Amino acid sequence: MPQADSIFWVAAVAVVIWAGVFFYCLHLDRKVRELEEHE
Amino acid sequence: MTDKRWLLKWLLGVWLAVVVLGAFFYAPTARGFKGESARIVFFHVPQAWVAVLAFCVNLIASLRFLRTRDPIDDARAASAAGLGLLFSVLATVTGSLFAKVMWGSFWNWDPREVSIAILLLIYAAYFALRQAVPDEERRGSLSAAYAVLAFVTMPFLVFVVPRIYWSLHPDTLLNARGSIDMESRMVQVLVASLVGFTGLFSWLYTLSVRLARIRLRRQQGVEG
Amino acid sequence: MLSEAMAVLGKELTGELRSRVALNAIGLFALTTLTAVAYQIGPYRIAAEDRPHLLAALLWIILFFAATSGLARVFVKEEDAHTAKTLRLAARPEAVLLGKLLFNLLLLVALEVFIVPLYCVLMAYEVKGVAGLVLVLALGSLALAAVATIVAAIISRASGSGTLFAVLTVPLALPLLVILIQGTRAAAESPDVAAVWPALRAIVSLAGVTLIASAYLFPVVWHD
Repeated sequence: MPQADSIFWVAAVAVVIWAGVFFYCLHLDRKVRELEEHE
Repeated sequence: MTDKRWLLKWLLGVWLAVVVLGAFFYAPTARGFKGESARIVFFHVPQAWVAVLAFCVNLIASLRFLRTRDPIDDARAASAAGLGLLFSVLATVTGSLFAKVMWGSFWNWDPREVSIAILLLIYAAYFALRQAVPDEERRGSLSAAYAVLAFVTMPFLVFVVPRIYWSLHPDTLLNARGSIDMESRMVQVLVASLVGFTGLFSWLYTLSVRLARIRLRRQQGVEG
Repeated sequence: MLSEAMAVLGKELTGELRSRVALNAIGLFALTTLTAVAYQIGPYRIAAEDRPHLLAALLWIILFFAATSGLARVFVKEEDAHTAKTLRLAARPEAVLLGKLLFNLLLLVALEVFIVPLYCVLMAYEVKGVAGLVLVLALGSLALAAVATIVAAIISRASGSGTLFAVLTVPLALPLLVILIQGTRAAAESPDVAAVWPALRAIVSLAGVTLIASAYLFPVVWHD
């Protein structure tokens, strides 16, 4: 059923978006760590 | 110490991923809502909550700045406001998408919708003010003053206006969220989402303040 | 303190009566908007069931925007003319705030005395509760003047531009506007003063809260 199928896609997109945001935040965190240790 | 922090962050990542999946597959479809549209509530409500939380953090930091004049407090206020702006945009957008599916139009002038939009306007005004002041200390005190002013007037919109201004949509988001009708699975996902989003806010806020601290130290290093 | 405030008020009044800049600005703005509205919409073009809403709302739109065009002057002109420093030395901050607040209040009242009857005539606005309307206008002006004066103080220390004033005032004044429109509707529809009571309560508390916050914040803004 197309209705049930599309929910999988929406959920997948949502997880991917979150993963993207999360790893980006980790990346920023790492950068800030480097700046802090540099001092 | 640092290992524990990394662990917490990874935990947050997994937690919110689980929440997202849970919002789509674990929670049942709500009665009275159109199809799957209710699921957006699991994201919309926490976003609105974070926008308000950021507002409170901003208030506290602003009051502190007015007392201490320490630039780090101003940085804290600005960081909170920046995140507040982001989350109020998200909350307004998700709320309006939900409104479109549920009631057919993107905007309905429901008092709760208007409150989040006004919060958005307050944040935008806050940054417009900051941009207009070149001197750092004055920028801090003027924006702190505005933040306090905004904080005292907000409750009127959220609490007083709905009482004297009858809403056309009795089943506002608050009712839908707070009603006993809500099944326990939905409550579980919602609470988990609230916790997750609060954690995310906390992380982003700390990052922003850490960055500001570095910037301040550099500045002082150059001058001193 | 009171005598200092009266002195500030007296200075504002004499200055204004001499040059009439603010009066002209807000008067002209209100008159132009009113003419445009009255000409295009007039007494006949609104359906009977929409009249209560629309007429109350339009009145306040006219008043509010005229106010934003003229109420910021009270502080901005001091900064522009470089008389602000002298004023800081000559009077206590509380006195300055009170004096300028009263000036803005008088300006608003003068505007209303001029525009409101004209509006009622041109738009055939039948107001059943005149006493109620007067109360709403009087207390509403106090609240509006309170918000506008502290925001004017803030922006005069920033870039002082009119746009910034509008941007900062709108989010704070929106709850007030909603209550005022509601109160005006109630006054127009019923001769009983009790009909405006809920709105009046809200207006008074909002004015009170704003005044208290202003009293606390103004010295900070003024002396920075």
